[in-house]
Amino acid sequence: MKFYIAKRLLYALLILFLVSILIFIIARLLPGDPIQAAAMMNMDLADEEIMNDLRAQFGLDRPAHRQYFYWVRDFFIGKWGVSFSSGEPVFGMFLRRIPVTMELFAGYVFWSFLIGFPLGVISALKRNTLLDASITSAAITGISVPVIWEAIVLIYLFAVYFQIFPPSGYVPFSENPVENILCMVMPTFVLGTHTAGMYMRYVRSSLLEVMGQDYIRTARAKGLGEMAVIMRHAAKPAMIPVVTVIGIDFAYVISGTFLVEYMFALPGFGRMGIDAIAARDYPVIQATLLVVALFILMVNLVVDLLYGYLDPRVRLA
Amino acid sequence: MATKAADNIKGIRSSRRRRESLLHTILTHKIACVGLAIIIGMICMAVFAPFLAPHDPNDQDLYHVLEGPSAKHLLGTDDVGRDLLSRVIYGARISLFIGIFSTFLSALLGCTLGLISGYKGGIADMVIMRITDTFMCLPVMVMLLVIVAVMGPGVQNIIIAISILTWTTFARLMRGQVLYVRELPFVEAAHTAGASEIRIMLNDILPNAMAPIIVAVTITLGRHIMLESIATFLGLGVQPPTPTWGKALRVGYSYLEIVPLYSIAPGLMITLAVLGFNFFGDGLRDALDPRLRGEGSTL
Repeated sequence: MKFYIAKRLLYALLILFLVSILIFIIARLLPGDPIQAAAMMNMDLADEEIMNDLRAQFGLDRPAHRQYFYWVRDFFIGKWGVSFSSGEPVFGMFLRRIPVTMELFAGYVFWSFLIGFPLGVISALKRNTLLDASITSAAITGISVPVIWEAIVLIYLFAVYFQIFPPSGYVPFSENPVENILCMVMPTFVLGTHTAGMYMRYVRSSLLEVMGQDYIRTARAKGLGEMAVIMRHAAKPAMIPVVTVIGIDFAYVISGTFLVEYMFALPGFGRMGIDAIAARDYPVIQATLLVVALFILMVNLVVDLLYGYLDPRVRLA
Repeated sequence: MATKAADNIKGIRSSRRRRESLLHTILTHKIACVGLAIIIGMICMAVFAPFLAPHDPNDQDLYHVLEGPSAKHLLGTDDVGRDLLSRVIYGARISLFIGIFSTFLSALLGCTLGLISGYKGGIADMVIMRITDTFMCLPVMVMLLVIVAVMGPGVQNIIIAISILTWTTFARLMRGQVLYVRELPFVEAAHTAGASEIRIMLNDILPNAMAPIIVAVTITLGRHIMLESIATFLGLGVQPPTPTWGKALRVGYSYLEIVPLYSIAPGLMITLAVLGFNFFGDGLRDALDPRLRGEGSTL
């Protein structure tokens, strides 16, 4: 197990290194350099000499590999640069926005498990019936509906027509817990239905595979009731593959978070990213991408380790 | 050895028979039929748009802006008085065009790299797979926005941007298939017969590794249509005055309280397109390989 953990950790570090290079290159490809962009915002800077001074000050006249080195070092000590559009330190902006995104994650996990898992189990138990077909179709529909459209329809139905929930905006939990929950219901639901469809299908196929195993037949032969067979013998092994796909799908969830935060005007991390892209706010874009990559890598690492813990065959391979 | 070869030939024959009955399997798969009907409908809409659309999609009528449904304009009019139904019908063209081209490029790139990676192994495999893993830990949607911001909006750029971000799925899938197929006896036979590596890759391995790729292509088509419309929605995709679903969704969204259909109708078309390809892909997967159930996602 120790060897397995070390191997996965080293691998994650290698990928992190490659991703950071990729992000660094992409940020350099953005039209114009950061100083030019800043000069466009503030005409006082639009002088060749001042711009060159600034480049030297921010280290932009150094060779690329040294710039890369300083960028990575600064990232790990929390010096993420200053936003061009707001003038704030990027690290501070990020810290302020992360609780909103975390709340969104918590809500999505709640919905997708609440909807996805029971439906997956029912669908597997009633396989090849009309009920199964309906649930499976509903799952594909949930996966297919674009986040932006689902958001628009929900906003129209529940905010414009029935006026149950606020159409957009965010109230912190510490300020007003009830309003906070109300304004998070729709965003989390939109994110949750998408992943619920995926989880439902994973649970279904995984459970079906486990139910065909010999030890399930043995459990049945012992005279156990169907419920006991599922809960005590089938559920845990069926969860193993589901855990891994949750890790793989996490990149999709992040994309969804960006869009949902944009649609519902939630002041989270994703909204910050989309606004930064629209405003060509380079330091924010660069930091956002690296944080996202770091986050996805961490989730995948945890999933890998969990997988190794749950299934001994994996860590020995 | 002889019996093995015979078994193998039998395997190929039965797989051929299976392919003949593929159409039958899909036609008896209800969800796949629904998907196929939606796809055919979309294609017809794109091809026959000039005949189906009741008005010119770019005809402005500033005396009748933001109207609800009426006999003259079945879905109402947009913010500059253009007929919404016509714009929705014409929107199928650009969406399908981008979907098909980006999927083709993405599959071509991914399958080529996956084939090389799986067949050659060694350093080539290691390098290609590390690049794949690197791309996979950046979310496609977010990267798409960044890359289009780098390259500038436009049809061509968005096709390229989508392709360079999504080939990884095909590369991984193809590699996995190749690793399995290359160990089969007929590949060994081709080696013994003195076939060149390129020939083995293209003639023996590729056709036998295609089944999951075809399923992935179908699902990817829907996914790319969605990616394009989201990018256009955020102002980074196809530029006006081309009628697109993403743009209509965007502008309509700001008039949601006055004319809800303005954004709901084009959004429904995007949903239907994605749904059609996903339904069909699901049926195709069941028909081609029941083992692969339950994978694939779009956003």
